[in-house]
Amino acid sequence: MEKALISARNIKKYFNVGEDILKAVDGISFDIYPGETLGLVGESGCGKSTAGRTIIRLYEPTDGELIFNGKNIYGLSRKEMREIRKDFQMIFQDPYASLNPRMTVEDIVAEPLDIHKTYKNDVDRRNRVIELLELVGLNEEHALRFPHEFSGGQRQRIGIARALALNPKFIVCDEPISALDVSIQAQVVNLLKDLQDKLGLTYLFIAHDLSMVRYISDRVGVMYLGHMMELAPSEELYDNPLHPYTKALLSAIPIPDPDVQRNRKRIKMEGDVPSPINPKPGCRFVERCSIGKDICRKETPVFRQIKENHFVACHFVQ
Amino acid sequence: MDKILDVRNLQISFKTFFGEVEAVRNISFSVGKSETVAIVGESGCGKSVTANSIMRLLPMPPAFYKGGEIIFNGENLLEKTEKEMEKIRGNQISMVFQDPMTSLNPTMKIGNQIVEGLKKHKNLSSKEAKEIAVEMLNLVAVPQPQKRINQYPHEFSGGMRQRVMIALAMACNPQLLIADEPTTALDVTVQAEILDLMKNIQNKFNMSIILITHDLGVVADMSDRVIVMYAGQILEEGTTDEIFKDPKHPYTQRLLASVPRLDMKKGEPLYSIEGTPPDLYIPPKGCPFYDRCDKAMKICKECMPEITWHSKTHYSRTWLNHPMAHGRGEN
Repeated sequence: MEKALISARNIKKYFNVGEDILKAVDGISFDIYPGETLGLVGESGCGKSTAGRTIIRLYEPTDGELIFNGKNIYGLSRKEMREIRKDFQMIFQDPYASLNPRMTVEDIVAEPLDIHKTYKNDVDRRNRVIELLELVGLNEEHALRFPHEFSGGQRQRIGIARALALNPKFIVCDEPISALDVSIQAQVVNLLKDLQDKLGLTYLFIAHDLSMVRYISDRVGVMYLGHMMELAPSEELYDNPLHPYTKALLSAIPIPDPDVQRNRKRIKMEGDVPSPINPKPGCRFVERCSIGKDICRKETPVFRQIKENHFVACHFVQ
Repeated sequence: MDKILDVRNLQISFKTFFGEVEAVRNISFSVGKSETVAIVGESGCGKSVTANSIMRLLPMPPAFYKGGEIIFNGENLLEKTEKEMEKIRGNQISMVFQDPMTSLNPTMKIGNQIVEGLKKHKNLSSKEAKEIAVEMLNLVAVPQPQKRINQYPHEFSGGMRQRVMIALAMACNPQLLIADEPTTALDVTVQAEILDLMKNIQNKFNMSIILITHDLGVVADMSDRVIVMYAGQILEEGTTDEIFKDPKHPYTQRLLASVPRLDMKKGEPLYSIEGTPPDLYIPPKGCPFYDRCDKAMKICKECMPEITWHSKTHYSRTWLNHPMAHGRGEN
């Protein structure tokens, strides 16, 4: 098998909230292979965005290892980290909040170049900016404008151009399309796919829109309250979900086809997502699970491989 | 079917510093008794303006009604005084908004917010109104309603808040519920519960619903009929089956093709509509979808297409179905 580009091992991120501890991400492990897209889904508050940020060390991790190209990046000094940051980039959810309204598009896209001083002179810098803008479907004219002059979809393209500036290997896309309209979502997703083919990028694609995640990802991980519940190739996960949470989640998504939708049965879940502050031991999903038993309250199920490439954390999946 | 609401040639504009924005441009539709009509479209297409205009909730100025009528139970709502509207709002027509956190009053107990409307519209005593409030919370499956009516909105989760919103809207037993993106801010699992709840309540009270959403999955799940809006106009209208199985307007066709489906095969391409909707400061003379349409013809730029009826319930506005287009409208 191919060697993983990124290996996350038992990553934890806790936040102190007063005297309590909020366990946003509580020991997740996975590999991401070069050129693939790993999708990460879950309901709000499940820790998927925190996981994305902790992986590229925007948040200092509480525990765990992240092996990138054979190096544990959590052990690196500030200076070494800065060097390796060139390889990781991020695309944010809200294209209105993630672009500085007082900077021109040229300066926004060139900011990573400025920080790492990758150009010789201004002409060089400008040429690189234009090259990047063209790569994402914008053009030279747009370089001297300000963010407010663009629509949501175009802004997200600017964010993507900025992320590509340093030729990264790995990009964390944190809900890159959820603020956009349906017809524009498809534009941005198709752009991300084209860029992946052209530049050999590897993505971690975080979203709550499961149909879109299925479309773009090679493999998908399902998170619930800081734990990874299931991880499998996207076809396998959607055709043959094993974890009770994944099953319930998938059955809740409305399908845009009246015949299919009328005949679907939804698996109901009891109650709301519990608080991640001082969580009880055992399986995180037990309170809402249809097959939960005593053992689930006592022991946290091990995240283990059931079939080839199909991982599940549940006591009752054989 | 009895019509409960009939919107005719409605035109709404906003006066702004840069000129007039024509947000809703001559639309007509009707809603039957205990029917669910979905209005779909992208942001800025005028669907929320339409919804708010029925309730007369648009800030005036800058908004103004340029023309048309909104007939509710035989009376034109646009001719009502503010006093008369107050008797209709929350009583005969109610609304559920997208964001339950900003639409509930954070400084008032949930119970009092429900009681407020009941006392105003139904002349009930505080005690009677409170009993109904508990009953309503029970109906929308909020656990421990006796205790919950004394809590504030921040003590509720997002899904629970939306249930409270629905209880509040349902309290006076309205004939028409306008739900403006009622589940957009919620997780899919919560969304499914809220939609089920709305269906149950509708069956119980024979209420009509106008559902405004951009999520085609929600439309397929909930609605009887669908109205497709684009740039302030209705481009297509039909029953849910007609719209999903046999869309006639290129915009509807492309919109349906640009949504990835959970039951889609791997490797099927996702269609993307290039470009963005037109600027409504200077609305286009012809079809508003002209710039983004891959089937556009010369005439589309010049004149707004007329209505073509495909069945008693299904029409579209596109020149492609005109006899002179020689069947170019077929897929």
